[in-house]
Amino acid sequence: MIIQRRKLPSRLPMLALLLLLAWVMAACGTPPAPQPAGDAQTAAPAAPAEAAASLKEVPRNRTFKMMRGGVSGQHVDYELWNPYAIGSNHQNGANIMYEPLAFYSAFADKETMWLAESYEYNADATELTIKTRQGIKWSDGQPFSAEDVAFTFESLKELGAKVRWGVDVQQFVDSATAVDEKTVLVKFKVPAPRFFNLVSYKFDIGVYIVPKHIFEGQDWTTFKAFDIAKGWPVTTGPFKVVASSAEQKIYDRRDSWWAADQGLVHMPEMERIVQLPDAQEQQQAQALITNEIDMGFTLDPATFTTIFEQNPKITTHAGRKAPFGYLDWWPVSMYVNTSAPPFDNPDVRWALSLFINRPQVVEVGWSGANTVSRLPMPPYPPLKRYFDASEDLLKQYNTSEFNPDKANALLKKAGFTKNGEGKWMNAKGEPLKLDVFVPAFLNSMGLVVVQQLKEQGIEVNPSDPPDFNDRFTKGDYQAAFYGHGGSVNDPYFTLNLYTSSSKAVPGDHQANFSRWSNAEYDKIVDEVYVTPMNDYPKLEKLFHDAMAIWLPALPDIPLTELYHRIGYNETYWTNWPTAENPYVNGASWHLTFEMVLWNLKAVEK
Amino acid sequence: MRFNYIIRRIGFFLIIIWLAASVNFFLPRLSGQDPIREKLMREAMIGGATQTGMEQIIKTYEVKFGLNRPLYLQYFSYLGDVARGDFNYSIAHYPTRVIDMLRDALPWTVGLLSVSFLISFFVGTFLGALFGWPRTPRYIQWLFGPLLSLNAIPYFLLGLVMLYLFSFAVKWLPSGGGYERGTLPILNLKFLLDLAYHAILPALSILLAQIGGWALGMRAMMVTTQGEDYMIFADAKGLSERTLFLRYAMRNAILPQVTGMALVLGQLISGAVLVEVVFQYPGIGSLLWRAIRETDYFVVQGVVFFSIVTIGLATLLLDLLYPVLDPRISYEK
Repeated sequence: MIIQRRKLPSRLPMLALLLLLAWVMAACGTPPAPQPAGDAQTAAPAAPAEAAASLKEVPRNRTFKMMRGGVSGQHVDYELWNPYAIGSNHQNGANIMYEPLAFYSAFADKETMWLAESYEYNADATELTIKTRQGIKWSDGQPFSAEDVAFTFESLKELGAKVRWGVDVQQFVDSATAVDEKTVLVKFKVPAPRFFNLVSYKFDIGVYIVPKHIFEGQDWTTFKAFDIAKGWPVTTGPFKVVASSAEQKIYDRRDSWWAADQGLVHMPEMERIVQLPDAQEQQQAQALITNEIDMGFTLDPATFTTIFEQNPKITTHAGRKAPFGYLDWWPVSMYVNTSAPPFDNPDVRWALSLFINRPQVVEVGWSGANTVSRLPMPPYPPLKRYFDASEDLLKQYNTSEFNPDKANALLKKAGFTKNGEGKWMNAKGEPLKLDVFVPAFLNSMGLVVVQQLKEQGIEVNPSDPPDFNDRFTKGDYQAAFYGHGGSVNDPYFTLNLYTSSSKAVPGDHQANFSRWSNAEYDKIVDEVYVTPMNDYPKLEKLFHDAMAIWLPALPDIPLTELYHRIGYNETYWTNWPTAENPYVNGASWHLTFEMVLWNLKAVEK
Repeated sequence: MRFNYIIRRIGFFLIIIWLAASVNFFLPRLSGQDPIREKLMREAMIGGATQTGMEQIIKTYEVKFGLNRPLYLQYFSYLGDVARGDFNYSIAHYPTRVIDMLRDALPWTVGLLSVSFLISFFVGTFLGALFGWPRTPRYIQWLFGPLLSLNAIPYFLLGLVMLYLFSFAVKWLPSGGGYERGTLPILNLKFLLDLAYHAILPALSILLAQIGGWALGMRAMMVTTQGEDYMIFADAKGLSERTLFLRYAMRNAILPQVTGMALVLGQLISGAVLVEVVFQYPGIGSLLWRAIRETDYFVVQGVVFFSIVTIGLATLLLDLLYPVLDPRISYEK
């Protein structure tokens, strides 16, 4: 016993060494844990080290490196390649793997038919016939057909709220059948003239077509669709996943791809894509400066000055000048909870709007790299006609106007008075208080608005509560800065954000964050919904009618646009989408990013 | 050691685990946040999710995760699950299982903590012994002050200072991650060196902060030991300086340090969580941080429960092993 105790200290370092070795082995990839019986359909992925060891070498000038996805510097969904699972997010890689029936670029206002060759609605838009393209093969060699499309729609209809896009499809689709190998007939429960638009890829909206022979019989809520050894995920895209771990996702170009074979586009010039997890602003800037990456996530305007100074090859959608990016589809407003006094009074909401000096918000809050938003949808080319149609109303109800005198009059009309200290008080002698939620990423502009309102005599309390989302969506708030995931080419989607009920669309409607309701407005939006997307005169009139209700009521207060400021590195790749060449928006996380990949040109031939 | 004592001690261990597991269940729920709503809204904010049908999705998954049931029923299910070692699915990253997330993260933390902990223990204890030994050269004694000061700084704060100095100011060491971004994890010398290179700063944050604590404890015990009769007797016998230092003084002074190992373990794990966050080190600290940010109850429960059991078990084992390490200690009445 004594001998053993004496030996103990000398064994401890050995133990430490063993632990160190275990650590190293762990870092090189641990074998997958056995899956429970219920997850039998969940494929066991190859260990990262095994997969990595078998990778071919690809030179940097044929490798496209980007930062996108992850939480706290690590990918968390690296084994999840079923884009319909609720834990999945197409922004993290599925967007460049699974292809759509069609792409739509709002910048070019152009629809590019892809897996579908054409589509046609019947007269009352209760049926949609889709002709699929012939000669397409999945990455495992199986032929793609109308069966895959019908299966995708039918599955989403059955699964509903259990999977992503399930509710959106379930609301409309009564049945989806493959009439023959290249024809899909979709029958709707109600007229659905926007269904094809919904399923086409644009920004973050679109339905991914999945292979029936892989997804059939699987539980879509738990199926991961990942097994590198089997060549999963199986898609029709030009890339295959060859390694996926917390540190990186690696995609290699397939030997052949149907779209290149059919002469639709050239094969992407990059042989490999390396997707690193998002890093902090400064690390990302450093990675662009040192050419470690070709693109990253959106950056602050001020960061570009440093990047431009140190790397002449970095550019943006707007070139090397402000606003250093392009208009996103998410204009920012100050939402006001219209269900509680005093903000249930449109005069008070308009007073808030008139107190805000928006050019100053742009100048100070966004360092000049932004523009004022007039309506809660972006002024993209296909939406400009609707701005024009409501120009008379926008003159009458100028959402960009800074006019404290007018605002003062409105507050007086609403029963408020200014005390000797310049503070607004209600009839009971209480100060006019505004508790406003300012999410961290909108801090810079939000706090400018807060200060402007304070200077006008309103007691404003900004905060960023940890349960912001919960309270905001449940209406437990007074005011909040937030954006709009609405229209990009058709006015319906933005108008629908403010409806409280719908007779045209069954089931759930979109969240009405400002809790505003108007029966007449709902009726107009329902009419917009059943109007074909290309019946512009009627849509313009209906939009005008809707704005005639919306603008006087001002359910939320438009402030500024949101810009995606992405650094594009031209050291290895050129032909990025820019203001001069706006073939699509450049976000690597959007569903149209495959279009950017096939357009990029290698600098070194 | 009496059998009754062992049973009683194991009983205490189980009670502590149950209490801690209960706090671990109720604490995250006090925030009142809905994890599924949080996840969907966070994605809606960056465009990765549509708002259509969000309420339906939330209701569906609340049923699936059992979050719609009364809290006491959720609590009993939770106790049953942890007893079986089943930590359920991650809410934010469904259908990933919590146990798989722990499996991926744990080796990093075990490696980082065990190596830095053992090094700090041995180096700190040895330095402490030297500090308390009267014939130690003066230049070694001077180290005591700085090490003691470093001990007063929390690990993560020291980590931030070192991050600034070595990563941003002089750019000698990487600012974070387990290994170089974009490197393929292949078992070769280059990769191993890269691993070690990335572990230097987080390990040093823990090491430097801990060494002083171990040294302080050991120094005090060495000073006490020197007045003992056996030391005077050994000295009078003419034993060598080395034998006196190692076999008589250090050997007897080290026992409270071993007790300290168990006590420091809890502090070490909680401190290391923040160190991992500071350095984006892919261990359970970062996992816990992410889970808290994403209101992922099940992952928080899994990580914290695992930490509680680890600390509780280490304390229990040390308690039971103590009589073996020091024959003078007995739990016999």
